[in-house]
Amino acid sequence: MNDLLYIIALPATLAILSLFIKDVKLTRKLVPVLIWWQLGIVALVLHPCLLGNEHMQFISGLAVDKMGTYFILLATFVVSCCITHADYFFAAAEANGDAYGDQQLRLFYASVNLFLLAMTSVFLCDNLGYLWIAIEATTLSSAPLVYFERNKFALEATWKYLIVCSVGIAFALLGTVFIFAASQRGTLAVPTLNISELISQAQTLNFPLLRLGFIFCLIGYGTKAGIFPLHTWLPDAHAESPAPASAMLSGSLLNCALFGIWKVSSIINAAQPHSHVHQLVAILGTITVVAASLLLLRQHNFKRLWAYSSIENVGLMVFAIGLGSGPLFFLQALNHSLAKVALFLLTGNIIQASGTKKLNKMHGVIEDCPIWALLVTLATFAVTGAPPFGAFVAEMSMLSLSMSDGRWVLALIMTVAIAISFVAICAHMGKVILGPAKQGFKKFQPVRASIIPAVLVFGTLVLGLVVNTEAWSGPWSMIK
Amino acid sequence: MILDTFEALAMVSAIFAILILGTTHLRTNLSFYSLHTMAIAAVTAWIANITHEDHLYLVAAGVFIIKSWGIPWYLNSVIKKINIGTDGGAFIAAPLSMHLGALMLGLSFMISQQIPGLIGEPDSRLGSTAAMSILFTGVLLMLTRRAAISQIVGFLVIENGIYLFAVTQTHGMPLMIEMGLLLEVLVAVMVAGLLLFNIKKSFEHIDVSQLTELKD
Repeated sequence: MNDLLYIIALPATLAILSLFIKDVKLTRKLVPVLIWWQLGIVALVLHPCLLGNEHMQFISGLAVDKMGTYFILLATFVVSCCITHADYFFAAAEANGDAYGDQQLRLFYASVNLFLLAMTSVFLCDNLGYLWIAIEATTLSSAPLVYFERNKFALEATWKYLIVCSVGIAFALLGTVFIFAASQRGTLAVPTLNISELISQAQTLNFPLLRLGFIFCLIGYGTKAGIFPLHTWLPDAHAESPAPASAMLSGSLLNCALFGIWKVSSIINAAQPHSHVHQLVAILGTITVVAASLLLLRQHNFKRLWAYSSIENVGLMVFAIGLGSGPLFFLQALNHSLAKVALFLLTGNIIQASGTKKLNKMHGVIEDCPIWALLVTLATFAVTGAPPFGAFVAEMSMLSLSMSDGRWVLALIMTVAIAISFVAICAHMGKVILGPAKQGFKKFQPVRASIIPAVLVFGTLVLGLVVNTEAWSGPWSMIK
Repeated sequence: MILDTFEALAMVSAIFAILILGTTHLRTNLSFYSLHTMAIAAVTAWIANITHEDHLYLVAAGVFIIKSWGIPWYLNSVIKKINIGTDGGAFIAAPLSMHLGALMLGLSFMISQQIPGLIGEPDSRLGSTAAMSILFTGVLLMLTRRAAISQIVGFLVIENGIYLFAVTQTHGMPLMIEMGLLLEVLVAVMVAGLLLFNIKKSFEHIDVSQLTELKD
């Protein structure tokens, strides 16, 4: 119980404080420092789960296992990086002449902290009901981040985000009710929504109801994750929010929804391994990757490009869930988060410096600011899964696992789709980076703006070089 | 067939939901929504009475206060402030969509028998029929209406359908979860209401079908 308080106290306090601190400049410096501190606290409190295969129970319905710990650390890390970079982002906006109001910034920092709190609680949930509440809370707390720019486009994006995600998630609630009914109509003595109990008693559940519940949860959380035909909110929200917020949405919010799918799919996997329903998840992942790779071909907006690339990566993660491999799911999520956060932050810099979001009006970043060009190129390769970056290792292991599982058709389609998206993204980025210079980048501080992205790109590079594939692709070898 | 009281109440709430489809006058819509939710609160209280699960009384009180008074009151004040009386125009004329809603009720009766695992519990069939019909009604509202506020009402109706399903089929989920859900819905409606003000201010209308600036 105490441990739980340690984890949630700081973001909760900061959320309130940042609304009331008069001097926004102070908030801008204070919040990043304290969120890094929060990362330390979380690592310290949860270190038993991190090292061993332990399971930490706080109160009934709130518990965390190894995978949850990894995801909490990842989410906190992403938020710390983004919020640190946000200070630079707002300074650059001021230098650019479109300063944001104090009240606007206060709300931004308060929402970021609430958002972190909501995301942390997603990974702490050991109860399907709490999980649903926490995931819906991430939507509500991030809506002000999407509406940050306060213009018509942001308004439209926020409205779509709120309505599409809330209705989508409502279906996940229906799925949760079905799973609760499955535990009631089975031979289980006490009906429960507790995930670990459901997994350990999976054989006794009423399977048809469980299956129905799983499908609804998949649709519901899938909407939030941006699985193919339900992805419509995702590019709008990612493109219209300010760069640090887009980075957080892509790098940590999507993981929350995918974590929900993972939890529900581990119940159905325990009830009936290799069921057709579970097969559906891998197929859905493949469809998402194919659709995203085709949509990537014709993009005109710099940030929408990365939003569709996020959809592609969500497809890959769903595919990993469909293969039943938790470690690979996390490895892909980790690499995607690192590379995509770097990309969104750098893209924000470039958009601020060049004053346009349109891809066809951008050129010559390599002459204007070589260091950004270098980092963007590296991060692009990292996110598309080129060697030697971490995503390559994850995608390679995924493909070989699906081959050895006998799903070589899916693996083949997946390979082609990944190749298409690689070509599409590289073609777009080639035009942005090469060409004549645009000038006007001088007043920005390229070095200060590059620190966080450089760290992230370096991180994913290291992951690609040191990760031992054997340890990650085995079933449950690493994460219980 | 002998109709249990709670089943009759569930049906009443389904019929009020269908009546929402029948008019594009926003305040009337909200009144029907309020009545529809009151019927659901009554179902909850009645089931609490039958099953002696005392926590359901609390949930019923929560539903009654937050969903059937608080939310319609808040949305009414939003409507008054942005000064919009009727839904600009539905994609399907209101009477027609009401008939579609009635058709959906019949369809739900047929589907409720098909749900695997629920068979063999004859007493809950009408409850799940009503729940499913409310769910369909909410979806129909969201699909056919243009005003942003009708979209919110549609979402609320869908949520009510799911809630009714949980209450009639599983006799309510644990108290903490139900309370969490209520809070979540309340916050969602408040955020959506705030956005509604801004939509009216920047676009001078609340027609969501015209929000099409963002595309690839």
